[in-house]
Amino acid sequence: MKFRIFRSAEDQTGAGPVDPTETPRMGGQVLPEVTPSKGRAAAEPRLEDATPVSNATVVDSPPVGPIKIAARDVSVFYEGKQALYDVSLDIPDKTVTALIGPSGCGKSTFLRTMNRMNDTIAGAKVTGRIAMDDEDINDRSIDPVLLRARVGMVFQRPNPFPKSIYENVAYGPKIHGLVSSKAEMDEVVEKALKRAGLWEEVADRLQSSAMGLSGGQQQRLVIARAIAVNPEVILMDEPCSALDPIATARIEELIDELRERFCIVIVTHSMAQAARVSQRTAFFHMGRLVETGDTEDIFQNPRERRTLDYITGRFG
Amino acid sequence: MTDATPDRIDGVAAKGRLDRLRAGLKRRHAKETRFKWYGRLAIAAAMLFLAVLLVRIVEQGHTAFYTHTVTVPVYMDPARIDRAYPQGSNFEQLAAEQQLARMGVQDDAAGTRAAQMKRLFSSELKFVAADLVSKRSEVIGETVPLAVPLSDDADLYLKGEISRDTPEDQRRLTDQQIAWLDRMQAEGVIGSHFNTALFTNGDSTQPELAGVLGAVVGSALMLMVTALIAIPLGVGAAIWLEEFAPKNRLTDIIEVNINNLAAVPSIVYGLLGLALFINWMHLPRASPIVGGLVLALMALPTLVIATRSALKAVPPSIREAALAMGASKTQTVFSHVLPLAMPGVMTGAIISMAHALGETAPLLLIGMVSFVPGVPAAIDQPVGALPSLIYIWENASERAFHERTAAAIIVLLVFMIIMNAAAIILRRRFERRW
Repeated sequence: MKFRIFRSAEDQTGAGPVDPTETPRMGGQVLPEVTPSKGRAAAEPRLEDATPVSNATVVDSPPVGPIKIAARDVSVFYEGKQALYDVSLDIPDKTVTALIGPSGCGKSTFLRTMNRMNDTIAGAKVTGRIAMDDEDINDRSIDPVLLRARVGMVFQRPNPFPKSIYENVAYGPKIHGLVSSKAEMDEVVEKALKRAGLWEEVADRLQSSAMGLSGGQQQRLVIARAIAVNPEVILMDEPCSALDPIATARIEELIDELRERFCIVIVTHSMAQAARVSQRTAFFHMGRLVETGDTEDIFQNPRERRTLDYITGRFG
Repeated sequence: MTDATPDRIDGVAAKGRLDRLRAGLKRRHAKETRFKWYGRLAIAAAMLFLAVLLVRIVEQGHTAFYTHTVTVPVYMDPARIDRAYPQGSNFEQLAAEQQLARMGVQDDAAGTRAAQMKRLFSSELKFVAADLVSKRSEVIGETVPLAVPLSDDADLYLKGEISRDTPEDQRRLTDQQIAWLDRMQAEGVIGSHFNTALFTNGDSTQPELAGVLGAVVGSALMLMVTALIAIPLGVGAAIWLEEFAPKNRLTDIIEVNINNLAAVPSIVYGLLGLALFINWMHLPRASPIVGGLVLALMALPTLVIATRSALKAVPPSIREAALAMGASKTQTVFSHVLPLAMPGVMTGAIISMAHALGETAPLLLIGMVSFVPGVPAAIDQPVGALPSLIYIWENASERAFHERTAAAIIVLLVFMIIMNAAAIILRRRFERRW
């Protein structure tokens, strides 16, 4: 097997030789002909480029396949300050959707609306409708505890519980009462660890502390912990930002494998990562969803000036 | 303008800049060295004070840990012992007279010498003899050896606390008594041994019979009440305030008030306890239940603050991880946050208990400075406490109580050290788990 090494955005935009395994998703030249309107914008900066457009989302190309999560006019306020403006986005099932954008653009905020983690922040308010399988997740009848059993989450920094590796993975099934016997639990733990690609490394020390694992192993353990309850959606908030390139490559491979079973939404700062792992990309800027579409289209033919500027590294 | 090229100007500027940096560097290093020395001095001063305190206490108190016993043969004269009521017999007089006779001393008509001899023996003699006679009446008419403590003054003389060189009218022993003591010691009837009475007796008016056990039991009972009330309440309140309470004006007010209560002088809590528990609720005065309640009130704010800071120190990522796994708020707190905060919570609890153990002022107000002989066994009976015992003994007129005061302080300090060591050990244990 070969490693896919992390590459900077500059490498991606250059015309250099491209890893053949990535061509279907990447394309070679990312900066093709710019459209006439974009060219004009480059010459003289327009006001619209600097300030967010007031109208709602541009849904460029609708995703193919069944929609898992449909967000409509979602706004988020933190103590009265608006962090997210009227975001409408369809997230297809069994696909990796990347949320990109500069720091503070609202992508993590949006991610956290999907498992109602914003509920845990005092003074946070979410408006609009987020439907998972046509069911409003913000509805009164939906228990956030149940929702989070269906929507798993992986955080920026690996945050295993300071308990044994086994207990970490077994925690979700245990609290949700998903298994009835020790043997069944062993099986669930083994399966989750295997699926997260960690089994080989930890099989002989399941009872030792999770804190003794390396950062990359911890992050895979956290993924195993999330998938042990068999969620439908996995949210990942910059899962590789605290990892080295090799650990990052392993996580990316893992994400690619998990795509077959789960709906994955990943927030990333790395354009290269978004290009490598995702099939759909949504670009956020200043609390608004600027553009969304197939990853290939977004990176090759961005329709918005700001998207182009961001993916070519002109700001962000 | 000058003829200097930009290069030269830059060169000069760079050189000046370096010089200035060097000069500043010297100053900075000097400052650092100075600060280090301030720190060392402060530590040294603190250690010195501590050493002086400990040396002083041990020096004053170590003599209380051993005591002198005299063994005197007593002929149980059937003519002078009341068989029906042995406690009423004057065994002390009997023993003193016989001792005088053995030493070949002729008493005067007023019996002053027998009285002087009697004062060398502890009043315990009477109880030992009476006890023996009532248990075994066949000893009447026989001569039995009785081992009894020396009186406090005789004990002090043998420990060197009362000097022969002091003028006779300024010491508690006459020249004659000293001579007798010397003679008895030469004869080998006086032995010195570990002062078990100090640990097995309650308080007494006789210094040689006084012990700390009553106060230790009283303090233990009180601390038990305090721990049972303060720890669950304090930890519970802290968990609610830190993890569950909404952030609004009411919780702000509660928080400010808890911080203020921690700074309220402890004597005020004594007043509160007096008004609330004794005058209003009519709980028994000077009982461990009242003392424990007052100390619990006093320990609560400290405990809440310590627990909250321990909870605050748990990284939020652990809470996020548990919540994102679908754990409820309660599950998150009790299976993840609290176990991680446990070392801090335990330390806070034990330190506040140790603080409560040494607290004296509130006890004065709820009547715990009264003389309580014997060892209490129930939480609704009047008891003494270690700190108040120290206070009582320090104020006693008998000199022998002074060394016992220091001994009681040593006992209290040993308890403190045990509790603090327990805090450290528990902390290590809980932290070592992962």
